[in-house]
Amino acid sequence: MSLAAIFTVAISLSLVGSALLIKQGVSTATAEWKGNVQLLVFLQPKISPTEFTAVKDQLRQLPAVKSFSYVPRAQAYADFRRLLANQPDLVNAVPESAVPTFLRVSLVNPAETRAVAAIFQGQPGVDTVNDNFSAINTITTVSNVAQTVILAIAVILLVSAAVLILNVIRVAIFSRRREVAVMRLVGATNSFIQIPFMLEGLVQGLIGALVATGVVILVKSFIGYAISHFKMHLLQGFVLTSHNLIDTIAVIVVAGVVVGTLGSTIAVRRFLSA
Amino acid sequence: MIKFENVSKSYSKGSPAVKDVSFEIDRGEFVFLIGASGSGKTTLIRLMVREEKPDEGTIWVAGKNLVTMPSWKVPHFRRNVGVIFQDFRLLPNKTVAQNVAFALQVIGKPNRFIATQVPQILRLVGLEDKMDRFPHQLSGGEQQRVAIARAFVNRPLILLADEPTGNLDPETSWGVMNLLERINRTGTAVVMATHDVGIVDSMRRRVIEIDDGRLSRDQVRGVYGLGV
Ligand SMILES: Nc1ncnc2c1ncn2[C@@H]1O[C@H](COP(=O)(O)OP(=O)(O)OP(=O)(O)O)[C@@H](O)[C@H]1O
Ligand SMILES: [Mg+2]
Repeated sequence: MSLAAIFTVAISLSLVGSALLIKQGVSTATAEWKGNVQLLVFLQPKISPTEFTAVKDQLRQLPAVKSFSYVPRAQAYADFRRLLANQPDLVNAVPESAVPTFLRVSLVNPAETRAVAAIFQGQPGVDTVNDNFSAINTITTVSNVAQTVILAIAVILLVSAAVLILNVIRVAIFSRRREVAVMRLVGATNSFIQIPFMLEGLVQGLIGALVATGVVILVKSFIGYAISHFKMHLLQGFVLTSHNLIDTIAVIVVAGVVVGTLGSTIAVRRFLSA
Repeated sequence: MIKFENVSKSYSKGSPAVKDVSFEIDRGEFVFLIGASGSGKTTLIRLMVREEKPDEGTIWVAGKNLVTMPSWKVPHFRRNVGVIFQDFRLLPNKTVAQNVAFALQVIGKPNRFIATQVPQILRLVGLEDKMDRFPHQLSGGEQQRVAIARAFVNRPLILLADEPTGNLDPETSWGVMNLLERINRTGTAVVMATHDVGIVDSMRRRVIEIDDGRLSRDQVRGVYGLGV
C-alpha cells in the first residue's frame, strides 16, 4: 500500500469527476440558454408612432422571428430595478424616465441572431440592438477550454498514478521474491502467484476512486450552493441532477479500478514473468 | 523417468553449456552428476524442471515431454519433482513447520491434509522437536533437512539435488546422504550434482560425468575419478 499512489489516483479522479460534472451542467444550461436567445431592440425615447408601427410590421413579416413583445417603460424600469437590486446606488441614480423602452424578440433559430440584429440596427427610431447570444457563446467556449485543460491534466495524473502503482507493486514483488521463488519451485500456479499482487493494485485504485467520489459529491453540492446563493442569473440553467452525479461516480470508480489493475498488471508482467 | 535425447543448450551469451547430451534415468535410480565447475550440471537440473528450454533435442521427465509442454502446464508438472539446493532457500521469517506447510498451501492442499503431513515428514527427517524454530536457529545440516522435507512432502517421483552438501562439513554431509538414500529406498529417483569425491566413491552408485557440456562418462556403480 502506498499513500502517494492512492493520493495521485484520488486527485486525478477528482479532476476527472469535476470536469465531467461541469460538462454535464454546461450542456444542460446551454440547451436551456439556446432556447432562450433573445434580441432586445431598444427604442429611441422620441420614436414616432409611424416608425414604431414600421418596426413591428417588419418583425411580424420576418420568418426568423418566433414572437416578440413590447416592454413599456414602467415594466422596463421594474426589470431594471430587480436585476440590479444588489447595486442600490446605481438604481437610485437612474430615474424612470431615463430607462429606454424595448421590444423583446424570440427567434426560431438562435444562429440567425446576428443577421436579424443587423436588419434593425440603424432603423429609424431604433436606438441599439442587443443580444445575449455572444455571452452564451463565450461561456460555452470558456467551459469547453476549461474541460479540455482539466481532462488533460487528469489524464497525465492518471498515467502517473498507474506508474506509481506499477512501482509499488514492483517493490512488493521484490520484497516477496523469496516466497515467489519457492512458490515457483514447488509448483504454485501463475494465477496463484500473481493474483495477490494484482489485487493490491486494484485495491489502491479503488481506494483512490472512493476518495475522489467524496470530493466530487462535495463539488456538486458546492456548485448548487454557489448558484443559489449568488443568484447568478445566467447560471440558473446550470442544474446538476443526481443522475449526473451517479454517472460521474460510475466513471470514477471504473477509472480507478482500471488504473490500479493496469499498473499492477504491467508490474506483474514485467517483474514476475516465469 | 528422465530421458535426454541429443539435448543442447546455450545461454544467450557465450558458448553452449550443454552439448548433445543423451541419457536415461529409470524409476527409483540414484544418480550422481559430476564434472568440473562450469561443466553444466546445474544447467542439466534446470532443464529437468523446465526452468530452461533446450535449443535442440528432447527431454522427457515423469512421462512428460518438456520441450512441447505449454508453460501453463509447468506448475502442475513441477509438483512431481522435488528440488533442493546448496543454499537451502528456506524462508527466513517462517518456522520449520511453516516452511514445509507453505509448499503445500501454495499448491492448494487442504489444511487438514497439511496438518497431518507436516509433522509426519518432519519426523522422517528427524526434526520433529525443532518444528517451531526459525531457519537461523538451525545448523546448516538441519536447514538442508528442512529443505528436503519441503521437497519431499508432496511425495514426488523424482528428487533433484544441486550440490546439497556443498555448504556442509563431512559428518553433516553424511547425515544428509543417509536421508537421501532413505528417500531413494521409498522408490523416488534421486539425481544429485556434486563435487564431493568421498561421497561418490563410497556410495558406489551410477555416475554421469559432464565435461565442458558433453557427457563423458555414464557408469553403473561408478567412482569420482577415472581408472580406479
Ligand atoms: N544464467 C546463465 N546465463 C549465462 N550463462 C550461464 C548461466 N548459467 C550458467 N551459465 C554458463 O553455463 C555454463 C555451465 O554452467 P552451470 O552452472 O551449469 O555449471 P555447473 O556444472 O553447475 O558448475 P558448478 O559446479 O560451479 O555449479 C558455464 O559456462 C556458465 O558460465
Ligand atoms: Mg552448479
